[in-house]
Amino acid sequence: MSSVRERNESAWLLPADGSSTNHALREGMRRYPTSQTVDAVVVGCGAGGATMLQRLARRGWKVVGFDAGPFWDPDKDWVSDEAGSHQLFWNEPRVISGADPVPLGSNNSGRGVGGSMVHFAGYAPRFHPSDLRTYSLDGVGADWPLEYADLEPYYEQIEAELPVAGEPWPWGKPHSYPHRPHPVGGNGEVFQRGAEAIGLRTAVGPVAIANGRFGHRNHCIYRGFCLQGCKVNAKASPLITHIPDALEHGAEIRADSMVTRVVVDEHTGRAVGVEYVHDGVGHFQPADVVIVAGYSIETPRLLLNSASRRFPDGLCNDFDLVGRYLMVQGAPQTAGRMEQEVRMYKAPPPEVSTEEYYETDPTRPYKRGYSIQTVSPLPITWSEHLTAQGYWGAELRRRMSDYVHWASLGALCELLPQAGNRVTLDEQKDRHGLPVANFSYSMCDNDRHLLKAAQSTMEDVLHGAGAGETVTIQRFAHLVGGARMATSEREGVVDADCRSFAVENLYLTDGSVLPTQGSANPALTIMAVAARAADRLTGAA
Amino acid sequence: MSTPLPYPRFPGFDVMSQAGHWDEVTRQLVEDRLEPDGGASFFSRLERRAAGALVDRLTGQDGGQLVPVLQMLEDRLASGSTDGWHHQRLPQDAEVWRRTVLHLDADAQAIHGADFADCTADQQDGLLEGIRTQGDEPWHGLWAPGIWNLWMRYVCSAFYSHPRAWEEIGFPGPAFPRGYKNTGLDRREPFEVAQAHPEQEGDPHP
Ligand SMILES: Cc1cc2nc3c(=O)[nH]c(=O)nc-3n(C[C@H](O)[C@H](O)[C@H](O)COP(=O)(O)OP(=O)(O)OC[C@H]3O[C@@H](n4cnc5c(N)ncnc54)[C@H](O)[C@@H]3O)c2cc1C
Ligand code: SF4
Repeated sequence: MSSVRERNESAWLLPADGSSTNHALREGMRRYPTSQTVDAVVVGCGAGGATMLQRLARRGWKVVGFDAGPFWDPDKDWVSDEAGSHQLFWNEPRVISGADPVPLGSNNSGRGVGGSMVHFAGYAPRFHPSDLRTYSLDGVGADWPLEYADLEPYYEQIEAELPVAGEPWPWGKPHSYPHRPHPVGGNGEVFQRGAEAIGLRTAVGPVAIANGRFGHRNHCIYRGFCLQGCKVNAKASPLITHIPDALEHGAEIRADSMVTRVVVDEHTGRAVGVEYVHDGVGHFQPADVVIVAGYSIETPRLLLNSASRRFPDGLCNDFDLVGRYLMVQGAPQTAGRMEQEVRMYKAPPPEVSTEEYYETDPTRPYKRGYSIQTVSPLPITWSEHLTAQGYWGAELRRRMSDYVHWASLGALCELLPQAGNRVTLDEQKDRHGLPVANFSYSMCDNDRHLLKAAQSTMEDVLHGAGAGETVTIQRFAHLVGGARMATSEREGVVDADCRSFAVENLYLTDGSVLPTQGSANPALTIMAVAARAADRLTGAA
Repeated sequence: MSTPLPYPRFPGFDVMSQAGHWDEVTRQLVEDRLEPDGGASFFSRLERRAAGALVDRLTGQDGGQLVPVLQMLEDRLASGSTDGWHHQRLPQDAEVWRRTVLHLDADAQAIHGADFADCTADQQDGLLEGIRTQGDEPWHGLWAPGIWNLWMRYVCSAFYSHPRAWEEIGFPGPAFPRGYKNTGLDRREPFEVAQAHPEQEGDPHP
């Protein structure tokens, strides 16, 4: 494999003077008129979309990337403050329903160039080989139309491009990371100590935070605001890992441009471009290939909102699969009170993980498993942990004043994909007059078993570390699926190359296409799948 | 100023004294929070009395305000800034706020013969605890657990965004560009303040 810089120069295209944004690169960006048919348009400049843009631009394609949100300048637009970072999230209206409704917005998805990775925690684990074959191995979920070996070279590429730091990884298919592990703060120390006490193996990482200078990106200053957007440029997001190189190679980014419809020619059945709204004005951008990467809620919503005579129930929805099998990981967080001061707000929240319970254990009453990682809620988020216990008023204030003593762990449980967990269009309309997404979610018995098991492991670890009281909050994290890949159009919306079965020049390259989710945070896998799709589309693989 | 804490747990901790170490954009944002303009921008006069009493009880602030939660709440509701979702069983956030404060007055009148704001703290707490523990039953036709979650989300995100609240819990706030050097158990930065040993005397953590 060639050196990172030869493949993707993004980190070297950032300013070397400590500021965040290469304004000259953005100002000199190539611009295509809407009268010109470009080679491809990409809807959404997040994990999957930005990877695609960079790959296609590198191969000389004329590409335009659209994002509904802003083209962030971290120096000016981001703050080192929890409440002040609210604008990073997708705060446009959405409706949630079902027996176990999943809060969205700040909890789950981003908006703006860089997508949700702008405020993602930064964990970048791979999936295990078993994740791609859960149906064959365990009789649950689905098998991917891909093998782990198909993804492996792309994992290596993306890990080098982010780059990822961590100890050699013993789980899944063992592998190592390009950057050494980061030092661990108080919260990580508690996890390591408790795990050791109960004989549980942990490893530091894997985090998409360079350890040392990488290109012109700065070293992490351990300030703990990763979920608020990294002003330091230490933590990876496509805004700094893929967009600069895409611009350098002639891609155009149209920010603040919401795509409202994918247009398909009724006669040829091919996608011909996208309609979008910028500054309240509608436009049409023609393209030879249309790529949608708007996140697991907005991608299905856009397809459903793109109904036509040929596709009366929504684009690519001949078999009623669009929006279905949407998954979210069960993400309970358990905190323990330590005698010592932990001050978990210091150091990046992502520090230490274990994947020891990731795989199906035949002695347990459930299939699949969970991982455990450090999480370090800042004050507002920490207050949710306590209000979830029912505390309020003076009692809440007293308990909040104990913040510096608490250490916090989070589990990611592999909740199973189910057809009934899905996005549909609601009666409510957004400010463009388009129906908003209604996301209905309900768990099954296997899911509930996993949540219980994960909580009890976290309690054991924390008690092992010497914690007294523990508190647990039930949460969800990381939506994927909703337009999954499969071997046939009766089982999925796209094929292994992310090409839709229904429209030959329409691709989906975001988290929507994942058929299962494992217990790994998904961003790395989303990028790897997109990088592979780009190679397939351009004939490079 | 009244506080639910028997004594300040981090005596002398002054978050704003470090503002000179923060980046300009963040410093401006936090300073603006100390002197919010606007306010009185969402509720009617009648609604505002009940809303003020409600958010004070929810954040344990009575007689003397540490954080102007009502003003922050009104500014947020007036600007239409939501969390990006609402539950199918409830109307949109702003409407829930408007309706629920009026329902509080109605309940207070029915049970105690006074507006919610004029009830005693105990009476107010009793009414609120009733809603919190109502279970899945609707309250005035609205889904009670969803109301409680919405109230707490809005008031806590206002309260714990404020430097005065950070001082109460030992959190130093913004950390860019300085970052932290002393991470690890029982390690403090020079600008972090030690606790007035709560474990030994008058434990505020019951
Ligand atoms: C708080 C938080 C912490 C997380 N932590 C981790 C973590 O530690 N590790 C990890 O792997 N993952 C984490 N994630 C999840 C991860 O960020 C996402 O899974 C991933 O970014 C999804 O990639 P995507 O390409 O599907 O969508 P996104 O990255 O969300 O990109 C979608 C983009 O499309 C744009 N868009 C949507 N619709 C339209 C439209 N119609 N027109 C134009 N633009 C549109 C959006 O504005 C957005 O920028 C976290 C997420 C959150 C919210
Ligand atoms: S802790 Fe490090 S990676 Fe996280 S936001 Fe701060 S500087 Fe960036």
